[in-house]
Amino acid sequence: MSNFFYVSPEQLIKDRAEFAQKGIARGRSIVAAIYDVGVVMVAENPSASLNKISEIYDRIAFAGVGKYNEFDRLREAGIRWADGTGFTYSREDVDARALANYYAQHVGDMFTEGPKPLEIEILVAQLGNQFRPTKLYRIAYEGTISDEPRFAVLGGDAETIKARFAESEQTLEPLTVTLRNAIAALAGPDRAIPTSDLEVGVLEDGGGRRTFRRLGDDDVSRLRE
Amino acid sequence: MGLPLFRTGDDPGPSFFRFAENAGLTSLAWPGDAPSAHATTVIAVRYVGGVVMVGDRQATSSYIASRDVRKIEPADGFTAIAMSGAAARGLEFIRMAQLSFEHYEKMTDATLSLEGKANYLSPIIQRNNLTTPLLVVPLLAGWDPSHQVGRIFEYDGAGGCYERLDFATIGSGSPFADNTLRLGFRSDLDLEGALELGALALYEAGDNDPSTGGPDFVREIFPMMVTLNADGFRELAPEDVAQRFRTINERRTESKGLAGGTLR
Repeated sequence: MSNFFYVSPEQLIKDRAEFAQKGIARGRSIVAAIYDVGVVMVAENPSASLNKISEIYDRIAFAGVGKYNEFDRLREAGIRWADGTGFTYSREDVDARALANYYAQHVGDMFTEGPKPLEIEILVAQLGNQFRPTKLYRIAYEGTISDEPRFAVLGGDAETIKARFAESEQTLEPLTVTLRNAIAALAGPDRAIPTSDLEVGVLEDGGGRRTFRRLGDDDVSRLRE
Repeated sequence: MGLPLFRTGDDPGPSFFRFAENAGLTSLAWPGDAPSAHATTVIAVRYVGGVVMVGDRQATSSYIASRDVRKIEPADGFTAIAMSGAAARGLEFIRMAQLSFEHYEKMTDATLSLEGKANYLSPIIQRNNLTTPLLVVPLLAGWDPSHQVGRIFEYDGAGGCYERLDFATIGSGSPFADNTLRLGFRSDLDLEGALELGALALYEAGDNDPSTGGPDFVREIFPMMVTLNADGFRELAPEDVAQRFRTINERRTESKGLAGGTLR
């Protein structure tokens, strides 16, 4: 006697999407935006050691929201992929678009075939140079990949934050302005986020090969003034 | 390469070497029989504020294959790695070391300690040297930010790692460089003293070992000189290095090739 019931594909996808969305909505959001000479990523993150924003490669950064263990494993895989690719070929052959595609494939596979969908949303940011453009690739829980033109918002409250940020910033601005707009968009009109609850990372050329830098509380406070 | 995801039990952790072996990126073990020269001299000397390294520039097979090889490379901001032995494996080894330290830093958001870096290299050397005749013997030196001292680590052919509190040399010119350093080393050497002694030791090696390239005044190619201290890895400007070797050369010319009774 079989206990299997028929579930339509529509229903299955809907259930899985709802499950993933619920998981993601529980955490805080991230704003990533291109500014005049770089990319800034701002996360609301009260933990000083469990990072949501990280370095992947010389000009590539990673940001993730949702379940920490799930996106952190993808972060590690991204670093291995980038270092392995650079070791096999050349450092300049490590491309964010290829990595974003691999992420999208994996997240998409987990959504349809995994025991449960990943409750995450991730971002791959690339700082451009003469060979490649500056890019923000957002990968949603079901594996959809989107190439965001100027900024991207990850997390449960994405639509509201997106609208707030879009309204405050229409053109490329310097880091101070973009950072303040991103923090204001994350906070909304009714509250202020203390600097100690922010995690900020930037990709910006500073003369060296590696362009990722974490901004500490002191740096962020100075830029917020 | 696809996305390298691992199950918890198979995860290589923050070690790039373990991951690279797992993914088939490392060189093959090859138990053949090939001559393996250590044609090189690289020196590391401790001084009160850090470490000075000096390395020759010549690649030797049965003839001089290249005159401007770089045998000392920064492994990260505060560490230098040098190698002697088979060029192919040596250069791969340096690349592996550089990438491994950076990989660890990105994976864990923490920098490996200098001792951690030194120990990490041991099994890589062991794996190479015990599986192929293409031997590699490296030398690691750096500024240890947690203990505020310069430190030198040397290795034997089987990967054994030994910290040296005075100086270390690798390559075929070692006996000559070592002798000079043994006579000239003092524990209170300052930077200038260490640079002078290091240059002299390399000059001696170049003068006596056919596989070590001394200063090349014809082509204006001079050994590499590097300092490692609280300011990090710094390479001396070519003119500065050239001047040091010209001075030694002039003295030796005056005394017809001999040191003339003093260490100079």
